[in-house]
Amino acid sequence: MDFKDYYSALGVARDAGDDDIRKAYRKLARKYHPDVSKEADADAKMREINEARDVLQDKEKRAAYDQLADHVARGGSPDGGFRQPPPGWDEGFEFRRGPNAGPADQADFSEFFSSIFGNRGGMGGAGGGPRAAYRERGEDHHAAIEIALEDALHGAERQISLRAQEIDDQGRPRLVERKLDVKIPAGVRPGQYIRLAGQGLPGHGGEPAGDLYLEVRIAPHRLYRIEGHDLYMTLPVTPTEAALGAHVTVPTPAGGQVDVTIPKGARGGMKLRIKERGLPGKTPGHLYLLLEIALPPADSDAARAAYEQLAKAAPFNPRQHLGG
Amino acid sequence: MRAITTTVIDSAPLSVRELARAVGAEDQWVLRLVEVEILHVDTPAEPPERWHFRSADLQRALAARRLERDFGANLDTAALILDLQSELRRLRALMGAHGLA
Repeated sequence: MDFKDYYSALGVARDAGDDDIRKAYRKLARKYHPDVSKEADADAKMREINEARDVLQDKEKRAAYDQLADHVARGGSPDGGFRQPPPGWDEGFEFRRGPNAGPADQADFSEFFSSIFGNRGGMGGAGGGPRAAYRERGEDHHAAIEIALEDALHGAERQISLRAQEIDDQGRPRLVERKLDVKIPAGVRPGQYIRLAGQGLPGHGGEPAGDLYLEVRIAPHRLYRIEGHDLYMTLPVTPTEAALGAHVTVPTPAGGQVDVTIPKGARGGMKLRIKERGLPGKTPGHLYLLLEIALPPADSDAARAAYEQLAKAAPFNPRQHLGG
Repeated sequence: MRAITTTVIDSAPLSVRELARAVGAEDQWVLRLVEVEILHVDTPAEPPERWHFRSADLQRALAARRLERDFGANLDTAALILDLQSELRRLRALMGAHGLA
């Protein structure tokens, strides 16, 4: 695991004040925001600066990170590699979630961040000992799960690994990895959240654990694109099929095939709907076929002659509207 | 390992309290999101105890939380940014549906 230099990620000096960090973060966040950025690695950069900001804007986390950075600078391996925090590196530090921090923020942070701070906004009780009189429901936890389109169509069971900070009997934090088998219900869509009751952080003083929310992401599919409940697929047709109409066989997302009628005079970009063949659900989505006219190659004398014959038989100027 | 029972929150929507917990906020903050129309409730005339929130609401609440914290945006500004973001995504999806993306 590489040591991450959060100061250079934000382009600020080691002694930068809160204001400098905030300004640097905002400038970079505008540059790399996935909705507006043209940079190829915008998502990764955004994650990196979010992570750096999360540590450097929190006094306690920053102090612990600085101490760790000093340790690595003094005794790190020659290649600068970083394996794991030294024992006792966090003694005397207690991390709490700031008043404006949301629990979802750390969902995408790096392994390096998780190894230091756990996969959550803060950890209570480091060096502070058990808190017998302290009663609080556990915090909700967030993570993302990427599934295949087929899993969304048919439902599936997937195993996920989560790492979280836990406090041991001596009140010391330790990183615990746990695996969960998660049922993916059929018909789930990207952007939906699956809730796993009681799988968040443990509660204190007998209070219940928080919940775990998994944001569903669906991996890109070679044929289908998802839009809400609906699926879109490009359907290539020949000029003959488009002009004269045709019956073609098309694979459906759930498996199997369906016969589709291409209407006479179909144009490229025309959308055909196959009812209720999209994502399943109470209101099933539809499958939309986007027609794309595919030209037969003019790579033989016979094909070239056929094109020339077509030009004579059906004179056509597609640029008429341009005055051509 | 036994598979854990899961619920898609759209089929079992969240209460004000549950949404607030899920984003690490107070109930009052969720009510403010409704007031500035970042969140829309089906039954605004009903008391907040009867309001329900779905995946899209959780997504918008999390996004509002980040805008507030990362850029110091107030909730009215956050509402405008979120609406513009939604419009941008709608237009991009439309372009994609016409093979232009």
